[in-house]
Amino acid sequence: MNDSPESSLVAPALLLELPAADRLTPAPPEFRQSRLHRLADRWSHLVFLTCSLLVVALIGGILFFLSARGLAAFLPLAGNTGRTLSFAEVFLSTDWAPSSDHFGILPFLGGSLAVTGLALLLAAPTGILTGVFIAKLAPSWMRSLMRQVMDLLVGIPSVVYGIFGLTIILPLVSHSFLKDAPASGFAISAMILSVMIVPTIVSLATDAFEGLPLSLDEGSQALGSSRWQAIWHVLIPAARPRLLTACVLGLGRAIGEAMAVQMVIGNNPQWIALMRDFTDRAPFLRALFTPAATLTTELVQELPNTPTGSPWNNVLFAMGLLLYLLTMVLILATRRFGRSEVA
Amino acid sequence: MKIRFLAQTLVAGLIALSASAQTVTVMGSTALGPIVKKAADDYMKTHPGVQIAVSGGGSMTGLNQVTSGGCNIGISDVFATPEQDKTGIKNFNIVVQPFTLIAHPGVGVKSLNAQQAEQVFTGKVTNWKEVGGKDQKIVRVIRPESSGTRAVQKKEILHGQEFSKDVLIQDSTGAVVTAVATTPGAVSFVELEHLEKNKARVAGIAYNGVECSNEGVKSGKYPIFSFGHAYTNPAKLTDPKVKQAVDGFLAFILTPAFQQDVVLKAGYLPVAYVKSLKTQL
Repeated sequence: MNDSPESSLVAPALLLELPAADRLTPAPPEFRQSRLHRLADRWSHLVFLTCSLLVVALIGGILFFLSARGLAAFLPLAGNTGRTLSFAEVFLSTDWAPSSDHFGILPFLGGSLAVTGLALLLAAPTGILTGVFIAKLAPSWMRSLMRQVMDLLVGIPSVVYGIFGLTIILPLVSHSFLKDAPASGFAISAMILSVMIVPTIVSLATDAFEGLPLSLDEGSQALGSSRWQAIWHVLIPAARPRLLTACVLGLGRAIGEAMAVQMVIGNNPQWIALMRDFTDRAPFLRALFTPAATLTTELVQELPNTPTGSPWNNVLFAMGLLLYLLTMVLILATRRFGRSEVA
Repeated sequence: MKIRFLAQTLVAGLIALSASAQTVTVMGSTALGPIVKKAADDYMKTHPGVQIAVSGGGSMTGLNQVTSGGCNIGISDVFATPEQDKTGIKNFNIVVQPFTLIAHPGVGVKSLNAQQAEQVFTGKVTNWKEVGGKDQKIVRVIRPESSGTRAVQKKEILHGQEFSKDVLIQDSTGAVVTAVATTPGAVSFVELEHLEKNKARVAGIAYNGVECSNEGVKSGKYPIFSFGHAYTNPAKLTDPKVKQAVDGFLAFILTPAFQQDVVLKAGYLPVAYVKSLKTQL
C-alpha cells in the first residue's frame, strides 16, 4: 500500500528538488484537481469548521452555564429560589455551614491555594532538576528510560493515587510520626499532588533544556566553569521563561485535581475555625496535618446532593466559576511567559 | 454474540413500541437503586405493557427531577425539603434502613449511651478514656453536609446540635468504613449492612446497650433508623395510563411478598415492621 506512487506523495519531493525561483510558478496542469476533489475539499472544509466551532461553542456554553448559575447566588435571577447572598458573606467569611445559612467559601479558596502552592514547592525543584539530568547529564539509554517512566506516571488515574494515599500513606505516616493521630491534611495531599504534576514539569523542563543552543553550555565550559556552574549560572537562567511555563502548567493541573485530594485531605470545611482554637506553639506544623478542604473537593462531594436553585447549590456553582477563572488566569499567565521568551 | 444481542434489543424495542408500552422513569438514590431495579424487573415480568427505567444520580437529583417533572418517581434516602414539599409531591416510605455506630476495633468501648454518643460527636468528649475506653484521641469520621446519613445522625444521635469542628469527612460510606478501619480512635455512623459486610475491619458499638439488628428495630428496642422514600408528583402525572403504571408499581413494592422476599435480603427492613412505631422521622 505504501509502494503505490501516488501523485500527491511524489509532488512535494519533486518541488523540493526544483530551484527556488521555479517553485513559485503555478502547478503544472496534471496536478489540477478534478471537480470531485474540489467538492470533497469543500465538504471536508465544512466538517472541520463545524468541529472547531462546536468546541468553541462548548467552552462558551460551559462558561455561560457556570456564570448564570454561579451569579444566581448573588442576584435575584431565574435560577435563584432562595435568599440572595451578598459578596462579602461569601467571599470574606470563613464560616461554611449551609444548613445553618452560612456560606463563607474562604476555607475552600485558602485550601486550594495552600495545597497547590505546597505541591508546587515540592514538585518544581524536583521536576526542574530531573529535567536538567535528563537533558544534560544522563547517558542516552537512561534518557529514553526516564522519558518512558514519566509518560507512564502521567497515565496513572488520579483515583489510584487517592487509594494509595488513603490506604497506605495515611496509616503509615499516622503510625510512624504522629502517634496514631490522623494524618489527613495539606501535607499528604500536597505530596500526592506533587507526584501527579512532576511528570508534566519534567517533560516541559527537559524540552526547555534541550531547546537551548549548545553554544551556551560549550561557551561556559570553555571559559572554565564546572558542570555545576554551567548548569546553575547559565543553563537554568537561560531556560527560565520556559521553566516558569512548566511550573504554571503544573499548577493548573494541581488546582483542578479533585479525586486524589478528596480521598486524603479530610474534607473539613471548618479547618480555619478549628485552627483558631489551637493553642499550641507549632501552628504551621499543626496546620499541615489538620483535615482541610479545597474548592474541588467540596464541589465533588456536595454538588450532586444539593437542591437546584437553593443558595447552597448556587454558591457551589459560584465556586466552580471561581475555579474556572483561576485556571484561566493560569493559562493566560503561561501564554505571557511564552511570549516573553520569544522577545 | 454481539449481533444477536443487538438484534434482541432491537426486537424488544420494536415490540415495546408497537404495544405502546407505558414507560415509567425512576431516578435518584444510588443506595436504593438496586432494590428498585429488582422491583422493576419483577414488575415488568408480570406487566408486559409497562417499561420501568431506573437510573441513579443521587437522592437530591431524584427529588429535583420529580419536582420539575423530569421523572415519574424520585427515590431518596432523605425527606424532601420544605420548598419541594410545597409543590405537592407525595411521599411513599418503601423500606426501612437501620443505622449503627461503628469504631476502630482498638478503642476499647462496646457501648455508648445516648448522652455519651451525643458528646462524642459534638466534641464535648475528646478522648475514649472519658467514655470508658483506652487513652486514645477520638477521631470523628462523618459524611458531607448534604448526605442523608449525616442528616439522620444529626437528628438521632446529636439531637439537632452541631457536629464538632474537628472532623474527618468522607464522601461515601465505603470511604468512611476504610477510614475508620485504618485510623486508630476513629468513630462513625453507617447503615447496618455496611457493618455486617466489614465485621473483620471495624467494630459495631451498641446504643444504650442495644446492638443494632433487624430484630432490635422490629421489636422497637433499637431506635435509630430511617426510611427509604419514593416520591411522585401528582400535578405532573397527567397521562392516566402512566399514572396507573406508577401507582401499580409502588403498590407492588409495598406488597408483603416483595417486602419479605427481596427487601429483607437486601439489608433493609420491611416498612410494616416499624409502621406502628413512628411514621415521621
